Amino acid sequence: MSEFGWLIRAEWTKLRSVPRWMMALGAAIGLTVLVALLTSAGAGSEATGGSGPDDSPRPPRGFQDGGSFTYKALPADGTLIARVVSQKDTSPWAKAGLMIRASQDRGAAHATVVLTPGHGVRMEADFKDRASTAATPGKPTWLKLTRTGPTVTGYTSQDGTTWRKLSTYRLSGPALLGLFVASPDQTKVIRQFGSESIDSFPAIANAVFDNVTPEPVGWTDSGAPEGPGAEGPDGAEITTFAWSDGKATMNGVNDLGPDLYGDDITRTTLTGILLGLIAVIAVAVLFVTTEYRKGMALTTYTISPRRGRVLAARTLVLGATGFVIGLVASVAALLLSAPLIRADKRRDISLTDPTVLRAVLCTALLVSLVMIFSLALATLFRNTAAAVGTALVGLLLPQIIATGLPLSAARWLTRLTPSAAFEAQQTFRHYDTALSPWPALAVLFLYAALTLALASRTLTTRDA
Amino acid sequence: MAESTGSTATPNGSSSTIEVRGLRKRYGAALAVDDLTFTVPPGRVTGFVGPNGAGKSTTLRLILGLDRPDGGTALVGGRPYRSLRRPITHLGAMLDASAVHPSRKASDHLLWMAHAAGLKKARVAEVLEQVGLSSVGRRAVGGYSLGMRQRLGIAAALLGDPPMLIFDEPVNGLDPDGVRWIRILLRSLAAEGRAVLVSSHLMSELEDTADHLVVIGRGRLIADTDVRSLLAAASDDRVVVRTTHRQEAMTSLSRAGATVAAGESGQVTVAGLPAERIAALLTSDGIPFTGLNEHRASLEEAYMDLTRDAVDYRERT
Repeated sequence: MSEFGWLIRAEWTKLRSVPRWMMALGAAIGLTVLVALLTSAGAGSEATGGSGPDDSPRPPRGFQDGGSFTYKALPADGTLIARVVSQKDTSPWAKAGLMIRASQDRGAAHATVVLTPGHGVRMEADFKDRASTAATPGKPTWLKLTRTGPTVTGYTSQDGTTWRKLSTYRLSGPALLGLFVASPDQTKVIRQFGSESIDSFPAIANAVFDNVTPEPVGWTDSGAPEGPGAEGPDGAEITTFAWSDGKATMNGVNDLGPDLYGDDITRTTLTGILLGLIAVIAVAVLFVTTEYRKGMALTTYTISPRRGRVLAARTLVLGATGFVIGLVASVAALLLSAPLIRADKRRDISLTDPTVLRAVLCTALLVSLVMIFSLALATLFRNTAAAVGTALVGLLLPQIIATGLPLSAARWLTRLTPSAAFEAQQTFRHYDTALSPWPALAVLFLYAALTLALASRTLTTRDA
Repeated sequence: MAESTGSTATPNGSSSTIEVRGLRKRYGAALAVDDLTFTVPPGRVTGFVGPNGAGKSTTLRLILGLDRPDGGTALVGGRPYRSLRRPITHLGAMLDASAVHPSRKASDHLLWMAHAAGLKKARVAEVLEQVGLSSVGRRAVGGYSLGMRQRLGIAAALLGDPPMLIFDEPVNGLDPDGVRWIRILLRSLAAEGRAVLVSSHLMSELEDTADHLVVIGRGRLIADTDVRSLLAAASDDRVVVRTTHRQEAMTSLSRAGATVAAGESGQVTVAGLPAERIAALLTSDGIPFTGLNEHRASLEEAYMDLTRDAVDYRERT
């Protein structure tokens, strides 16, 4: 075994041979699981985008598949053209246009060409943006969706003669082709220190089409979201489709697109790691400061005079320990609370889902980096209170303060502090998301690396 | 116990000598070690003695590469400690026997050290046996008595079976049995050919243990000598004469070339003449005397003499 291998064995032996530390690390796992069970057993709100029976298909995590769709079956090739005459501005992201989809099932393969009040003409397929172009406000906009063989192509035009191609999409086999309207809910978010309340009610999307070719006669009106007819805010039923004088009028609720206010169940289930981290931070810090307080540091550096290598070995040992703790805690939390979530929210959290798996992996890395960050702080300060305090202030305080700040300030506070790493637990973008998972972890990684570099420098230049 | 050290190492001359040359270390304004030079050769116990705050611990830390010297060198077997690969197989040290995590078992405490130095796991049981802790090795150190901790500290120093050893105040707070045990152990380690450096602030602790003494005060070397010469130097052949005729005795003896001084009433301290000669002189001059005591200094007195100017109670933190 190499000299560095010896050091790793030595540091691991030190860590595992203090029963109190091992118990605290076990408690970190226990706390995480406990919080997961409590949150998933508590009354939860229904995931936006409707709720169906257990086995009903669903749009991908973080998206909703709502709106009104009036269609005809399309066995093979075909084209649909329509002109959007007017659209109610319920949201910059309200949608009026054409859609082709494989089936009526939620989350089915689909492509849309739509006009929006605030974001021009857009082509979208399977919840991903394909293309967009500016639209002239107040002027009618032509839209065309055509399928030749398996290729679906979207077009837009100002005059119905000069068509501009937006993008293509592949969809073969029997499909549905028709008119479509949707609108995001109207949402009010109240943020207070330590809490947020989201109040949302459906906005009724409304649009008028003319020049619909072929004429929408005898088409199926799928309505929204549970079939024809839907309720407006006042509880009155709304007419989702009407055809007269060559004009098609459509109303609809709910959106097709990102569900920014949706319930990130995976993330909620994993929030318990916050409590677990307190134990983890304490162990990582005490692992170092106890040595200084009791004079054991002298023994350590007498046996291994190359102090930088000792620090490197500790980084590896604590980093690996943190990873395992995070992994075990999050897998256990998800597995144990899965039956409760299924019963309460009628939604499955599966570890085979790549997004959930990423959240688990990111949680493991988060714990690992927090342990390394704490180790570095402890080595730098040689003082328990200072190191634990700094770690807690960096990781937890911004989370508490952020809820009381305006959204943009909250986002920046999250991005600039080690607490950014908690964003890595998300499984989809939320209205207040500050960073995507990997950049979020990178922020904490930079903090840990910088502190480690400082610690290493003082360690090797200062007297023991 | 002490006899069963079972060392297979046969330390050879120059490669197992601790050499301190011109060592200097400053902490802020205080000069803790000032131009210190001495050698700890193999095969004997070298006592390292000086009052509290004299710079003993600092010197040991400098030898062990824990602190960096501001000047001079400290070599272990001809090389700086920090440059040694697996240093505890060259120099074993017991600095602070209480520096152990109380929740850790003694065997685990030694095990991580063994791992860090790439030593076999079996060494742990061997040294526990050697210091007589085998039966309690699997207990948490928090429940250990001071004496047991001291033994554990010694076990740690012996772990790498090193040809050179340093013990900082090893008998501090030990009962007489423990003190005797350590004495025998230190002597047997030296007898095996190891270089042994033992520090103490009390000369009496080293009196029967050390062959050679390095005395420091205020960071400076005061004496580097073997125990016998130190005693001889401190005794300096003074004789105390008890007489009712003090004046006559002083005149007679100083005429014969001695240095005389009036002591307490009826006493004269004489230097420079052996006792037999003094007795002959006084008898021939007809001066009555009732007592003639040769003054022999104890090691403690010799030490007190040496360090009188160097006592420094300023504590370094």
